[in-house]
Amino acid sequence: MKFVPDAKANDAGGAPLVFQMNQVEKAFLLATLQLFPVLEDSHHHLSQDPGATGPADQRLLQQAMARQRQQYRAKLDDFFRAQRRFFTNAQEGVQLALTAEQLEWLLQILNDIRVGSWVQLGCPEIDSFRRSGLTPAQTRAVAAMDMSGYFQAALLEAVK
Amino acid sequence: MPDTEQEQRTDPKEQRDRGYLVICWNDPVNLMDYVTHVFQVVFGWPKAKAEHHMLQVHNAGKSLLARETFEKAEHYVHQLQGYGLHATMERDQ
Repeated sequence: MKFVPDAKANDAGGAPLVFQMNQVEKAFLLATLQLFPVLEDSHHHLSQDPGATGPADQRLLQQAMARQRQQYRAKLDDFFRAQRRFFTNAQEGVQLALTAEQLEWLLQILNDIRVGSWVQLGCPEIDSFRRSGLTPAQTRAVAAMDMSGYFQAALLEAVK
Repeated sequence: MPDTEQEQRTDPKEQRDRGYLVICWNDPVNLMDYVTHVFQVVFGWPKAKAEHHMLQVHNAGKSLLARETFEKAEHYVHQLQGYGLHATMERDQ
């Protein structure tokens, strides 16, 4: 998947940010997004010092993160329902057209999947992480982490 | 826009109240370009400043992003964690 900076908006549903991908990438993108949410609400901590903030503040953070995930899940459900609004067939593969706002929540969703998968793996160092002898669940988490990172990097090309 | 360098320009009371530090901690999973982008969006920083703080997180393990009142620091931490960054608020010692 790659950003097409000079694509004409009308070619892809009127949204200003256009990405080119092949059918396999589209299938991987949709399969990866279906995993959302991955990160648990309990992952979030307001402070490293429990005395710096109160339990109510900590609860508020976790509630806010849960609410945000619900809102993004609803956006994602709409994205899946209205795929024709986002994807158009191109000469080679498919074009995905996004507004800046849509790109922003897709980035956050992909990052939730990436960070959540990393947490599931036990927060390893990425560079020294051994990818052999993994359980099926760990293999799925590695794939989700890699795929979400791949699509994040492509989306970030548009905001550079 | 929060900026620790602007502190001298605030009144003494506000300076006393701004006793909370917003810190972003390093992790090996968030992409560097993503972290830069999040700093630009959340704080409205220009790219160079956002990149400076991202590199500080990457190289030094953490970066002090803002010194704020409790409420503002909490607001920033909510936003940063909403983006999946490892950010916390700590009392300024």
